Amino acid sequence: MSEAQTKTSVFTQNPNSSNEVVLEAKNIVKRFPGVVALDHVSFNVRKGEILALLGENGAGKSTLVKILYGVYVPDEGEIAVEGRRVFITSPLEAIKLGISMVSQVPQIIGSLTVAENIILGLSKYGMISKISRVKEFIREESKRTGIEVDPDIEVWKLSYTQKQLVELLRSVILGAKVIMLDEAITFLPIQEKRRFYEFLRRFVGQGGSAILITHKIPEALEAADRITVLRRGKVVGTVDAKKTTLDQVRKMMFGERSSEITYERLPPSKPTEEVVVDVEDLWVLGAHGEYAVKGVTLEVRAGEVYGIAGVAGNGQLELIQSVIGLRKPVKGSVRVKLNSKPIDVSKVGIGKIRSIGVGYIPDEPLKFGVSMENNIEENLAMLPSITNGIIRWGRIKKLAESLIKDFDIKTPSSKTKVKLLSGGNLMKVLVSRELMVSKKLLVAYNPTRALDEVTAIMVRKRIKEKALNEKLAVLMASEDLDEVLQVSDKIAVMNSGKIVRVFNAQEAKREEIEKLMVM
Amino acid sequence: MMSLKTILDLVLAAGPAFATYYLAAVGHGIFEKSGVLNLAIDGVFTLGVALAFAVSAVYMNPNLGLLASVIVASAFGVIIAYLTTKFPTSHGAIGLSTMFVGYGLASLIGVPIRSTTPNAAWYPLSDTFWAEIIVVAVVIGLLAQYMLRKTKLGASIRAAGENPYAASALGVDILKIRLIAGAIGYALIGAGAALYVLAYTQSWSEGTGMGHGWVAFAVSLSAGRSPLLTLLSAAVFGGLVNYSYSLQAAANLSPHITNMLPFIAALAAMVIYAVTPLRRRLAPPKGLGKIYFKEERTV
Ligand SMILES: Nc1ncnc2c1ncn2[C@@H]1O[C@H](COP(=O)(O)OP(=O)(O)O)[C@@H](O)[C@H]1O
Ligand SMILES: [Mg+2]
Repeated sequence: MSEAQTKTSVFTQNPNSSNEVVLEAKNIVKRFPGVVALDHVSFNVRKGEILALLGENGAGKSTLVKILYGVYVPDEGEIAVEGRRVFITSPLEAIKLGISMVSQVPQIIGSLTVAENIILGLSKYGMISKISRVKEFIREESKRTGIEVDPDIEVWKLSYTQKQLVELLRSVILGAKVIMLDEAITFLPIQEKRRFYEFLRRFVGQGGSAILITHKIPEALEAADRITVLRRGKVVGTVDAKKTTLDQVRKMMFGERSSEITYERLPPSKPTEEVVVDVEDLWVLGAHGEYAVKGVTLEVRAGEVYGIAGVAGNGQLELIQSVIGLRKPVKGSVRVKLNSKPIDVSKVGIGKIRSIGVGYIPDEPLKFGVSMENNIEENLAMLPSITNGIIRWGRIKKLAESLIKDFDIKTPSSKTKVKLLSGGNLMKVLVSRELMVSKKLLVAYNPTRALDEVTAIMVRKRIKEKALNEKLAVLMASEDLDEVLQVSDKIAVMNSGKIVRVFNAQEAKREEIEKLMVM
Repeated sequence: MMSLKTILDLVLAAGPAFATYYLAAVGHGIFEKSGVLNLAIDGVFTLGVALAFAVSAVYMNPNLGLLASVIVASAFGVIIAYLTTKFPTSHGAIGLSTMFVGYGLASLIGVPIRSTTPNAAWYPLSDTFWAEIIVVAVVIGLLAQYMLRKTKLGASIRAAGENPYAASALGVDILKIRLIAGAIGYALIGAGAALYVLAYTQSWSEGTGMGHGWVAFAVSLSAGRSPLLTLLSAAVFGGLVNYSYSLQAAANLSPHITNMLPFIAALAAMVIYAVTPLRRRLAPPKGLGKIYFKEERTV
């Protein structure tokens, strides 16, 4: 709620929203082995509106938009575009009907240039057309929309935000009538989010439509015209975003469990005097050879949650990575004390650190945190702190089952490949495993980013409990200020590679921190 | 001192071997760029050799032999592309099975014809013809380079090979693109095979051509599947193969060693690419050989 209150409303009711339906889904059913992902789902999107599609992790949101984009074919049901029944059997078909999608993980190809990526969806260019013919077109649209990109740059050179912007530009160039954003904005820093929303507003203002999937309800309330809520594959209902409340939407999403949602500061833990992480005058290089961390000094004590707040890209990631041993510092030291004597992390490397019971939640969890082709049990067994030498599958199975129960992981079984789980459930596998293996220290980057509110809060409570009861030291960086405020005992604000200020949680003021973050 | 004329003669005489490897390697590169692991190459190459010989022997016309090899190989490319893309089956299994089918068919077609007509109509052993096939092969290679790097088709092929799921989301019809890549790629492999027998060995017996598909495979790999760089690797290997007897004699090498050379060079080249800035350009397609299943979870 804190979020909703502090955000100034930049968007007003959209006058262009009409009652004309552009895209309609009727009684869509989609089954995957072991789950009914969508169970007779019907909903529609009107011309000139932003429709938010909300629902807890695994509710079926991604599956629904993938069906509308032709990635999956529904088992039952109908789709209509502007009142005409259509069969969307491939993304190319969807593009031709004016439907485009931007997802959380950029679906563009790194080794191709921006122009090459974009021309692939443009049917008006034949197979032997020269790629250069599309460049002028891209430059024009780029100017018109204010999304600046060089059509000749290879996509791997772009930042995450730039890639998402390219996807957005691509949608416009493809002539989309409906743009579907599947958590496309979730990972963006706040200023970029605003640019995205402003862009969307202009887009619908000119008669386009958008489907917005997010798990930030306040964002949906602010940006959307209507909200459709999915729960366990079924539509709970559709409400007018300007007439509903946060509480009502939460109830629709989570039912009874919505009462668990709170942004109150969790009860403080009781740190001991023992220093577990000792970082001294640390200098670390970033991806492009510039200094990303510039002389950071900090200490985390046993039983303390040390939260780092900051806008993404201010060195938090590099700091976290060098604490866990993934990045070598140029100068300074990181010492971690797990038993009696401190270990110099840059000397021993991540393998050693992990094997003695340090938990780690990485920045791109799906890429670095789990092995997608393996099942839940295997994803546990592969950790050196769980298995040494010989795998005892019986024990692993029990562990897996207890995590599944404990964290309410929605999966057909503990032997399901993790790539078949929904994004949020995948994240739960990772987080629950890391919490379990953390003996003395947990290092985390955006630990709850892909999780819905109820789950995110549950994870934060677990972290805090472990700090309180087992004297776990936690070093966590998060772009979500609500999260930092909720769990931390100490809050450091990081800006341009430096820690600009450290607060005790009781003294921390949200406004003050926000100022320090962007100054 | 060798005169310029002698050098030119030596170069031209390697024309058939060069054109064989160059065309087949460029074809292989195009197909693999689309993401299909091409392990059938040696079998289809061997089949193309037998077919070119057989058709040329029956009709006493090398051009018809060439045409037959191109068409049949191209059809194989289409079939391989279809099977590997339409069904979630292993590229390795399909490739190797097809290879053995190719070997079998080659004997089945070649042997009976050879027993009646051992001598087909071969291409001329002349400087002019050798110069011609070198020029034609190079032009085809340059066209392939242009197609891959400058056209939408090329971008689609590369996209399908890097990440078929993302490519599909971007609007590529993966099946169609791989069918096209298979057809073009294998047409070139068929052309290389036909030149091998009709212009280079100028004789056929059971097993002719076997192993030379793998040489083309190595030629392509050692050039990172780039048609431009393949010019170089094909010239080197074409020369090595063409002059391997003289080389063996001159350097007193065992034929086993000279036969291994192309593969050693391929290994060396791959290592070199991996540690130099060429890495990105010449890296194998990320999706190469991976099973593509349309409804696989992607995000
Ligand atoms: N390709 C797939 N194969 C198998 N199961 C899937 C696949 N995609 C989604 N699922 C399952 O369908 C359900 C809905 O998932 P999803 O649509 O991703 O949820 P959401 O996006 O709302 O978090 C989940 O239980 C998930 O595990
Ligand atoms: Mg999702």
